Amino acid sequence: MQLERIDSLPTDEISGLRVRPGKPLPFGVSHAPNGLNFSIYTSAGTACTLVLFRRGEEQPFAELPFPAHYRIGDVFCMVVFDLDYEGIEYGFRIDGPQDPVAGHRFDASKVLMDPYARAISGRDQWGEAPNWQALYPYRACVSLDDFDWEAERPLEIPSQDLVVYEAHVRAYTQSDSSGVKHPGTYAGLVEKIPYLKDLGVNAIELMPIYEFDEFENSRLHPDTGELLYNFWGYSTVGFFAPKANFAATGRFGMQVDEFKQLVKSFHRAGIEVILDVVFNHTAEGNEHGPTLSFKGLDNKTYYMLTPEGYYFNFSGTGNTLNCNNPIVRNLVLDCLRYWAAEYHIDGFRFDLATILGRDPWGAPLPNPPLLESLAFDPILSSCKLIAEAWDAGGLYQVGTFPAFGRWGEWNGKYRDCLRRYLKGDGAQVGQLAQRVQGSPDLYQPSGRSPATSVNFITCHDGFTLADLVSYNDKHNEANGEGNRDGGDDNYSWNCGAEGWTDNPGIQALRLRQSMNAMVMLLTSRGTPMLLMGDEFGRSQHGNNNAYCLDSAISWVDWTLLQENAQLHDFVRGLIHFRHAHPALRVNRFDAPPSNLFPDCSFHGVNAWQPDWSADSRQLAWMFSTNSDSQPAGGDTVDVGTVDVDTVYVASNMAHYASWFSFPDLPAGFRWHLCFNTGNGDQPFDLSQPAQGDGGILLGDRSVLVLTAKPV
Amino acid sequence: MNLTSSTVNGWFAIHVDGQVDSKTVTSLRDFIDEQITEQQPVVLDLTKVPFMSSAGLRTLLTLHRRTQQLSTDLALVGLVEGIAETMRVTGFYDYFVIYPDLAALPGRS
Repeated sequence: MQLERIDSLPTDEISGLRVRPGKPLPFGVSHAPNGLNFSIYTSAGTACTLVLFRRGEEQPFAELPFPAHYRIGDVFCMVVFDLDYEGIEYGFRIDGPQDPVAGHRFDASKVLMDPYARAISGRDQWGEAPNWQALYPYRACVSLDDFDWEAERPLEIPSQDLVVYEAHVRAYTQSDSSGVKHPGTYAGLVEKIPYLKDLGVNAIELMPIYEFDEFENSRLHPDTGELLYNFWGYSTVGFFAPKANFAATGRFGMQVDEFKQLVKSFHRAGIEVILDVVFNHTAEGNEHGPTLSFKGLDNKTYYMLTPEGYYFNFSGTGNTLNCNNPIVRNLVLDCLRYWAAEYHIDGFRFDLATILGRDPWGAPLPNPPLLESLAFDPILSSCKLIAEAWDAGGLYQVGTFPAFGRWGEWNGKYRDCLRRYLKGDGAQVGQLAQRVQGSPDLYQPSGRSPATSVNFITCHDGFTLADLVSYNDKHNEANGEGNRDGGDDNYSWNCGAEGWTDNPGIQALRLRQSMNAMVMLLTSRGTPMLLMGDEFGRSQHGNNNAYCLDSAISWVDWTLLQENAQLHDFVRGLIHFRHAHPALRVNRFDAPPSNLFPDCSFHGVNAWQPDWSADSRQLAWMFSTNSDSQPAGGDTVDVGTVDVDTVYVASNMAHYASWFSFPDLPAGFRWHLCFNTGNGDQPFDLSQPAQGDGGILLGDRSVLVLTAKPV
Repeated sequence: MNLTSSTVNGWFAIHVDGQVDSKTVTSLRDFIDEQITEQQPVVLDLTKVPFMSSAGLRTLLTLHRRTQQLSTDLALVGLVEGIAETMRVTGFYDYFVIYPDLAALPGRS
């Protein structure tokens, strides 16, 4: 006989529903025998009411005040029996002091969303104008978390072997040109997996997919009247919930299943899924912003407040999450563990991550407990942790982010140096040498490795690659802010005309510059990251901050894939070349020499003689490694009893061609030319690379790549 | 929701008429539990099901597990396109043997 648990039966009745005292953990809603367990934390709230709605109905069908004995410590908890879990939405009212100076903003007239809500309804259709007067706009729902992963598990690809592709779920397939069945959704993105697999990337980094409000700060363009959104989504409403209206099935409340199916599908294709997560602030803004959840639950706990009770604004968006408060720390940890365990997420990129290292008064901590907890967490142990190591409060920690041996960084210095070198600035080659070998100047002193550095030249923030070589200045008029928004330090060069041109010489130079950028990015040590569509010349028409544009400016135009097929094929070739060459992926700064060459060396027009002078715009780098285990499809060559892989990259950003003499090879070896952007007719050939002799005349603003092979 | 059964081409066919969601799913599950046996393959005829919620799809999957344990074949027929597409993007589709309609069922003795 199966034993019936005592707590499977109710003890009380409140508002016509049968209930019993609940369990304080886990927070949020969880399944209990015959019922649902609701648990909510508030340190300063004096009373709490559970508010239950039938799905989609404006007014609640029941309000259940928690009796005194349903409270344990600072946690109210209750099991409610006989609920139709699929048909309900739930929220809370919290009573307590209204004393902003003391940090308290309780208001029992508001229905508050559970910060642990695993699914959120209320905004199931993208862009559908909300009812601004709604009693409860974002509604916590119950999810089952019973997804069948079969044998699938996170991929755990070493960071140095990753090629990351940054994408926005909606922007990627919303355009008709995407040709997908479900434009702008998780399902639509899944339809592009064959394309991504063919391209060769093995990690996709998704811009925010946690529930956010596209109508946050929405407004009409003052001149055009176009509705401007919070398109990018860097402002979280719910940390545990995938954005419902990014799901083709969001209107059926099945976004959790759809997003898990996305992860499963990517993993089956050998592609990791990394989430861009925003823990530095929330969608509640400052004292003028809406009260959705945290503000009414326990304002003083969740936000960094000035002594007068106003919101610190290190995020530049109104408020700052109080990440090193132990309660908030646990929320972040619970959240990431949930995504790692329940969604099989492979890694996280933390927006404005230095905020996570500030104390409750905003001062940078030497040993931030949150960052340490994440670094040593048992469930997150194989997840990539990547910091955007700066914040809007002026703290810049590229190279000094408290890493605990675990954290990688978006390397903003890599981006700036590579851009300046690409456009022909002087005095860059010294720094370039650091950047292409994984930035040892930044990471070696603290014992970190090259893969710490996420190398990128473009990301969502700033110009696309095509725009980087087509515009000297930003053109953000479509954002409706008089072109004042967006960065001015773009280090871009338009190659001779601002924007569109029919000048074939300029067009050819732009293509070459795009290729040059991709070669340098994909032959640098570290973890390379590409921006969606850059492989086929995606343009935002000079807009370097398209955060508010749900339009063709932001959407990937897939007709460019045909139009710029040469660039696409070139980038595809480069990515596959990177996977085939372990020398590019060595993850040590102190690697031993190979049987042919030093692990890493630099050269100029003459081998072994780099020109470090300020006028120099030419540098070659050579990586060489003995590899014990040759990867599948590898391209290493046998020297004696070990495999040796050698890659030589020569870059000429001067406005004139130069003869580059290659390093001498031992007898029995020859150089093979795999890429040469200076050869417009055939910039690459991997199937039958031409044999290189002692040197080559490398064209102006051109890059070439050689490998050493036996005769 | 209305449930009837018949034998079609050697299959035990359960004909579902109406929406399958958390309100109706228990009666579907109970009906199936009472009727399926180890010997006879089962087909769920969903021709007259206009909508299936998350709970409905989950019940299909638990039924799939149940029939697997019994080594009994299970097939679905008559899926409307909306349900089929929801099943595809949420992964449920992959678990089932699906035929367009009862006439397409292979014969079983």
